[in-house]
Amino acid sequence: VKSDERGILAGSDLVLQQLIRASARRDRAAFAALYARTSSKLFAIALRIMRQREWAEDVLQESFVGVWQRAGDYDPARGSAIGWLVTIVRHCAIDQQRRRGRRPEGRSAPEEVLTALAAPDSADSAAGLRALQRCLDELDQQPRRAVLLAYCYGLTREELAARLGVPLGTVKSWLRRSLERLQKCLEG
Amino acid sequence: MRYDNPELRERLAAEYVLGTMPPRVRRRFEQLIATDPGLARIVGDWADRLLPLDQAVPATEPPARVWRAIERRIAGDAVLSATPTADFSWLRSLALWRALAAGAGAAIVGLVLYIVVLAGHAPQPTVVAILGGHGGEPGWIAVTGPQSGQVTFAAVAPQPEPTRHDFELWAVAGGPPRSLGLLPQHPGTTATLRMTQLPPRGGVLAVSLEPPGGSATGLPTGTVLYQGKVLTGSP
Repeated sequence: VKSDERGILAGSDLVLQQLIRASARRDRAAFAALYARTSSKLFAIALRIMRQREWAEDVLQESFVGVWQRAGDYDPARGSAIGWLVTIVRHCAIDQQRRRGRRPEGRSAPEEVLTALAAPDSADSAAGLRALQRCLDELDQQPRRAVLLAYCYGLTREELAARLGVPLGTVKSWLRRSLERLQKCLEG
Repeated sequence: MRYDNPELRERLAAEYVLGTMPPRVRRRFEQLIATDPGLARIVGDWADRLLPLDQAVPATEPPARVWRAIERRIAGDAVLSATPTADFSWLRSLALWRALAAGAGAAIVGLVLYIVVLAGHAPQPTVVAILGGHGGEPGWIAVTGPQSGQVTFAAVAPQPEPTRHDFELWAVAGGPPRSLGLLPQHPGTTATLRMTQLPPRGGVLAVSLEPPGGSATGLPTGTVLYQGKVLTGSP
């Protein structure tokens, strides 16, 4: 994956990498700048999973304390800085969601994500978006829903099974096969 | 389970990024990532592959109180500043951490050998303290340097405690314990403070488990998990 195909915040990833490296050296100003640049996007990602602002605020707080502590672990050879940050936030949100118990049903519609994906956005990220969109389109409808609900809304495998009305084993094999197909498609 | 099977590595990395791994499996997987750069790269590739799905989210400004809370929680780090330097690159050598993890006794010998071998290279660091757990295994090792008058603490063992806690370092030398700041948790990370902040030789350094950001009372509130005597410095 080349940096210009990464989509979200692609152009500024080098800056984020430098800010994370400086944060690892306990540079508070750099850490504040990292927060300023990324918090509104990361807050939105947390909010999509948590639904409640207060809970998403907790997730953002936990995540950034974690980023401060683990900044030294980030290595640009392992992928983009924004990808690393997003993974921390999403895992933190999924953990908190689990602790808070079952979420109310409804609202989260994976189709919204697909529609938004299709909408033209900034030119520099269009290639990565189009590729992912095309590959998601090649998946069957239900497995695609499972992937999107898991990634965007943080649904667990058990929640996916309940939501999509299939056994847990089916969800597991849908996810596994879909991820394999996505990889082949994106690399093909 | 074998973790060197390419398909398995790919599948686990994908599920890790997707977020569908059961929490316990994920913690174990995160430990693997920490020591397996190849696996970490596969994870990074997956994070970048799925990243466009976040493009659709409209940015939302969080309230200012979130940043204030973060600042409060990282304030404890003011005393200890992590400064990995070239001279101390050996402190972060993976081989060393593996050796240390293999066995405490052998590990200390290994560390001392390391210091002797590298004495010509680094400005002769000497061991200031070894902070051992109740089982005797070292959690942190403190050595002099990288500059004169400084002491560097290196985390040497992965902490089994949940990451929602911090480890706070205390100086104990008559009177109430004095906080020296938070210690780094990941093996291979270091933090440096001034030698004069430590208790005199023979004094005790203790590490307690505290809420994130450190004790709010200025005194240890959690269990003391590690301790060690100051071995060098003025008596």
